[in-house]
Amino acid sequence: MGRRLPGVVLAAVAVAALAAGCAGAGSAGGADPDGEITVGLQFPPRAAYAFEADDGARLQSLGVAETLTTVDDQARPAPGLATSWEQTADPRTWRFVLRPGVTFHDGTPLTPDAVVTALGYVAGVTAPPRAIRDIGFSVAADGADAVLITTAAPDPIMPMRMSSGNLGILAPTAYSGGGQPQVLRTGTGPYVLDTVNGTDSAVLLRNDAYWGPKAGAARVTVRYLPDPQTRALGLQSGDLQFAEGLPGAAVEQVRSAGADVAEYPAARTVELLMSQSTLFGDVRLRQAVTAAIDRPTLAAQVLAGAAAPASELFGAAVPWGATTPPPGADLARAKALLAEAGHGPDRPLTARLWTFPNRPEMPVLATAIGSMLEQAGIRVELTVGDYAAQEPDLLAGRFDLFLNSRSYLSDYADAASTLTSDYTCGGSYNLEHYCSPAYDALIQRLAETSDTAQRQALFAEAARLLTTDAVGVMVVHPRNTAGSRGVTGFVPDPLGVRPILPSLTRSAT
Amino acid sequence: MLLRRLLPLPLLLVVASVVAFALPRLVGGDTDSVVRAVLRARVASATPDPQVEAAVAAQFGLDGPVVGQYLRWLGAVLRGDLGLGYVTRTPVAAQLGDALAVSGLLAGCALLLAAATGIPAGVYAARRPGGLLDRVLSAVGIAGVSVPEFVLAPWLVLVAAVWLGVLPALGWGGPQHLVLPALTLAAYPAALAAQLVRAETIDVLARDHVRLARAKGLSEGRVLWRHAARLGCVSVTALSGMFVAGLLGGSVVVEVVFGIPGAGRLMYDAVLARDLPVVQAGTLVIVAVAVVAGIVVEVVALLADPVARDREAAR
Repeated sequence: MGRRLPGVVLAAVAVAALAAGCAGAGSAGGADPDGEITVGLQFPPRAAYAFEADDGARLQSLGVAETLTTVDDQARPAPGLATSWEQTADPRTWRFVLRPGVTFHDGTPLTPDAVVTALGYVAGVTAPPRAIRDIGFSVAADGADAVLITTAAPDPIMPMRMSSGNLGILAPTAYSGGGQPQVLRTGTGPYVLDTVNGTDSAVLLRNDAYWGPKAGAARVTVRYLPDPQTRALGLQSGDLQFAEGLPGAAVEQVRSAGADVAEYPAARTVELLMSQSTLFGDVRLRQAVTAAIDRPTLAAQVLAGAAAPASELFGAAVPWGATTPPPGADLARAKALLAEAGHGPDRPLTARLWTFPNRPEMPVLATAIGSMLEQAGIRVELTVGDYAAQEPDLLAGRFDLFLNSRSYLSDYADAASTLTSDYTCGGSYNLEHYCSPAYDALIQRLAETSDTAQRQALFAEAARLLTTDAVGVMVVHPRNTAGSRGVTGFVPDPLGVRPILPSLTRSAT
Repeated sequence: MLLRRLLPLPLLLVVASVVAFALPRLVGGDTDSVVRAVLRARVASATPDPQVEAAVAAQFGLDGPVVGQYLRWLGAVLRGDLGLGYVTRTPVAAQLGDALAVSGLLAGCALLLAAATGIPAGVYAARRPGGLLDRVLSAVGIAGVSVPEFVLAPWLVLVAAVWLGVLPALGWGGPQHLVLPALTLAAYPAALAAQLVRAETIDVLARDHVRLARAKGLSEGRVLWRHAARLGCVSVTALSGMFVAGLLGGSVVVEVVFGIPGAGRLMYDAVLARDLPVVQAGTLVIVAVAVVAGIVVEVVALLADPVARDREAAR
C-alpha cells in the first residue's frame, strides 16, 4: 500500500497543476474595449436562425442583423437601417429612406435592391412571419436611397412592423444559394456572426466598420445553456460574464459572488383563460374565479418574487401597462357570486384546469390556483399535458380553464396583433370565445390610428375593458433576470425587441 | 465468439427503429400535434394555418400515413441517409458523429477514472473486511451509488469552480473541461466496482490457491494483486460493457449541466425542439453503438477470464 501513495500524491499534484492552468480571470477594473466575453443564453436557436421563425429575433438580440427601424424606450418607432419614413400620397405605401454608409459584414453596401431582396425573401416563404402576413406586403426600390413598402390596405403601423426581428436585412449573397439564407458574415450589426456550432454555441466578432457605436467586446462566445442552474454557476465561477434567465433561488447566491443581477419586467402575462363556450359563459362565474385567486400571494410566495401580480393584460414592461397591484382574494365575494349563479355546497362547480409543463412555473401556479379555487368551493381537476396535443380542443373552446403564458408583444412593440387575435369575435387565437361588439369597435379604431401615443391609449382602454368583462384572470407578469460579472453596460430591454449584447464591455483585469 | 453475439443485432435495430420512430409521435399525441409542434419551432406564429401546416408537413416528410412515413425513413436510413435535422438543417449523421465522439471521450475518461479508483478501493477494502478502511470505503461507496448526478454535478462545480476556482464550471475544449464531468460520471461505476471487487476478492482470498500462495511465502501484496485481485476484477470488466452502453447515450444530465456538446445534450435539445430526424436517428445509432460496444467489452471480459472462456468454448 505504501508504494501506491506517491502515485496518489502525484496524481493530486497533476490535477492541481492542470487546474491551475485554467484558473479564472482576476478582478474587475476599468473597461477593456478589446476584451472577450462569454455569455450564457437560455434558448438555443430552433430553426438555424431562420428569419421566418422566432430565431429571427435571436439574430437581432445578438446584435448581428438589423431592421429598417427599431424602437425607443417609449415603444415608438426609431431609426434603424432607415433614417426616416413617411406615408406617401397613396396611403397604402410607405417610403423608407436608407441610412447612408452602411455596409454588410461581407463588405457590400446596403442598397435599396439589397433591402428588396431581403424583405422579398421573407415575404415569399411558406409561412411569412406575423409582422407582414396577410397584409398584401410588397417592397420595391425607390431611387438610390429608399424603398417603397406597399400593402393591400392602408397600414398605420408599417414603421413599427419594420422593427420586427423577423425582418432583418442580410447581404444579397445570403440569399443567393437558395433555401434558407446564409447568416454567417452577412448582417450589418455591431457584431459579425462568425461561427455557429449547432444549438451549442456561436462566436461573434466585433464589426469594426459598424455605422453606429462600436460593440463593447472584440469577441463574444455565446453558449446556449438550457439549464438555469448551469447559467447561475457559470456566472458565479467566472466562466460566464453574462447570463440571462437566472433561477430565482440562485439570485442572492449570484449576487454574493460579486455579480450584478438585473430584474426587469417581461412583456408576458400568465393568464387563466376561461372558456365561454363551456362553463364560463356566465360572467358571474368568471368574476367568482377572479375573486377567488390571490394574485399577490401567487407572485410573492408561489413564484418567490419572480413575477409581479397582474391587474390587467399589460404590465410594467410597456408604457401603457398597468402597474397598480391587483386586490387579494375575496372568498366571500367569490362564494356569493357562485351562489348567485346557482352553485353552492349542494351543487358545486367542477372545472377542468389544463396547463403545460414547458415553462416550469406553470404546473406550480396551476396547482396553487386549483387550491385557491377549491377554497372558494370550486372543484378543480388539474391536467398538465403537452400543449400541441391540447391545442385542437383549446381552439375549439372545449376546455374550462387553461393557464397560458403569452407574450403580448410578439414581434414588435405594438399590441394590436395580440388584442385582435386573442379577444376579438373573429380572432384566430380567441381561445375563450369572448365576443363583445364594444371591444371589437374599440379594436377597429386601431386600424385608423397611426399616432403611437393614441394607439397606446387604446391598448390600455382595451385592457381595462377585458378586465371589466372578466375575460380571463391576468395572474402574473413574469420578471426577467440577467446577471453580469466582469462586464459593464447591460441595458435591460423589457420590450424584448432590441440588441442586448453590443453594450456589454469587459472590465479590465 | 464476437460474430455470434452480433447476430441478433439487425433484429434489435429493427425493433429500435420502430421504437425510435413511434416514441416521439406517441408522446406528442398524434401526427397532427407533432406537425404543429414542429411548425411552431419553424414558424413565428401561435395560430395554426392548415395550408401552412400541410406545406411544412410535406417539406419535412410528415405527410401521409404513419406507416408510409416510417418506411420512407427506414429506406433512407438503410441507404445511409439519416436526413437533415429540423433545427440546424445540417446532416444528422455529422451531428451524431461529432456528438458521439465527445460522449465517447467523456465516457472513456469516466470509466478509466472509475476503474482507477474503484478497483484498488475494493481490493484494499477486502484485505481487512470490517476494518477502518473497509468501513470508510463502504461509506464513500454508498454515497457514490446513491447521490444522483444532478446533485453531485452542481456540488462539484460549486467546490472546484466557484469556491476553489481551479476548474471551469462548464464548456468543452481542453483537458480541464473533462475533469468535473468525468468525476461526476465516474462516481457511480467507481462505487459499484469497489463493492463488487471487494466482495469477489474476499471470496477469492479464502480459496485454496491463495492459501497455497501464502504458504509458499509470497508477500501479502503479491498474493493480493497477482492472485486475488485479478479474479476479483472479472465481473467488473463484464459490467463495464453495460456502463459503456449507458454512458454513450445516457449522460444527458452531465452534458446538460456542464454544457457539453455530446450525444446526450444533442438528444435533449432535439427532444425539446421536436427535431424528429435527430431523435429518431440518434436513438437508433446510440442503441447500435451501445450494443456493439457492450458486446465487445463482454467478449474482452470473456477472454480475460479463463474459466468463462472454457465454458464459452464448450457451447
